[in-house]
Amino acid sequence: MKTYQWLLAISLLTATRILGQGPPITADKPIMLGGGSFTTKTLTEIRKTERGTFVYVPLMLHYLPSSNSLVAVHLPYINYDIENGASGSSLADIKIMGKYQFYRKDATGKTFRVVAKTLQNLPTGEELDVMELSTGKYSGYYGIVAGYETLKYGISNEVGYNWMPDGTFDEFRYKLGFGLPLLKPQYPNKQINLYFEYTNSWLVERDWYQLLYAQGVQLALKNITFDLAVQVPLVNDVDAGRELRHSIFLGTRFTF
Amino acid sequence: MKKALIVTFVVGMMTMFSANAQKKMDRFMVQVDGLGCPFCAYGLEKKFKEFKGIKNVKIDIETGDFSFNYPAEKALTMEAVEKQVEKAGYTPVTSKIERANGKVEESKGSVLSDSGEGTITKKMMVAGNCGMCEARISKAAKSVNGVSDISWNKETKIMEVSFDTGATSLSKIEMAIAKAGHDTKNHKAEKETYNELPACCHYERITK
Repeated sequence: MKTYQWLLAISLLTATRILGQGPPITADKPIMLGGGSFTTKTLTEIRKTERGTFVYVPLMLHYLPSSNSLVAVHLPYINYDIENGASGSSLADIKIMGKYQFYRKDATGKTFRVVAKTLQNLPTGEELDVMELSTGKYSGYYGIVAGYETLKYGISNEVGYNWMPDGTFDEFRYKLGFGLPLLKPQYPNKQINLYFEYTNSWLVERDWYQLLYAQGVQLALKNITFDLAVQVPLVNDVDAGRELRHSIFLGTRFTF
Repeated sequence: MKKALIVTFVVGMMTMFSANAQKKMDRFMVQVDGLGCPFCAYGLEKKFKEFKGIKNVKIDIETGDFSFNYPAEKALTMEAVEKQVEKAGYTPVTSKIERANGKVEESKGSVLSDSGEGTITKKMMVAGNCGMCEARISKAAKSVNGVSDISWNKETKIMEVSFDTGATSLSKIEMAIAKAGHDTKNHKAEKETYNELPACCHYERITK
């Protein structure tokens, strides 16, 4: 437990020096802020499953070569405690991300954008067999993110496929997120946003299916946000002993 | 006494130089599309911070109005400003520069981004009071070739207009509305036209 607290403290302290931009929390969005800029962010996940507890602390470094493209590297650290199994801390799978926005339609106070996205998962972590966190195997994710954002609400969609050479984590993924600001839109920022996010995940070879729901809240100030989300399974059709109990996401994002 | 005189002189000179320096700022006003959230506004401001010497940055995210002051001696062009908005990932729609020497430059009002081709919907303030004003504003906007839809709310004074950017521009629509007697943010109605409006339509005029 002390380790978790320590990791959490590191994550929060680091985050004060970290950039992140905008919502949503567990899903992705197509808006990229400004070409030629560097950003960093983090979002700690505490995942509790029937198999054990995993605390995942990524440090994400983003670079936008232009206003419609992004490259990023995610350097994650994981602490794991598997029931009747191993426990410890290590580097998790490093991820390289690329995004390219190929469609944009703007109007006053609203925008619709579509982005092609790839996430290359490098086999740097331990073989913990934990989806998206630490598999110790290479995989490549290819997807499309589309989002419509207005001053009154935001909707984001992501559909994609994760390919792994041995097929173990071949996954079809669909995410749908809604964001709702509770305060009147104003600049400089002062917002409290609610997020309702659904994740569909179908592991093709294993024939596992999960439908997850995340309820998130975000306090957003001019260039800093505090995020909190709890994700629970609505459908947990996976092997016995591998079910997700819940995940907690905590993050602070700072833009400079 | 001597000290007081020196201090007064120094303060006076500083004030004078400061006031003089402020006079030598160009004022830039750009209407920006795509600001779907306050974070977007932050992204825009952040990108413009690359212009060293930028002052008084103001962004109204509801209308997309973005304005700032910039030292006149740097002779920042409208093209550079519009390009910077694009680099920030947003769409400049109309631009206006009030130069320190009193010269005013305006963009043609066409949508400047390639991605803005096709029909777009814009919101903007149009002064008016009543149902008659609503009818007049709608008629004036619809008279512009390329306008497909228009609505105006007499409570909020906000007009929402959809138009084909290949056929017309927001500025042209504003001009048509101003010609009919209603002030918009960028175009004012002629005094005579305003006076000819029915009494119930004598709205409070937009002042700069």
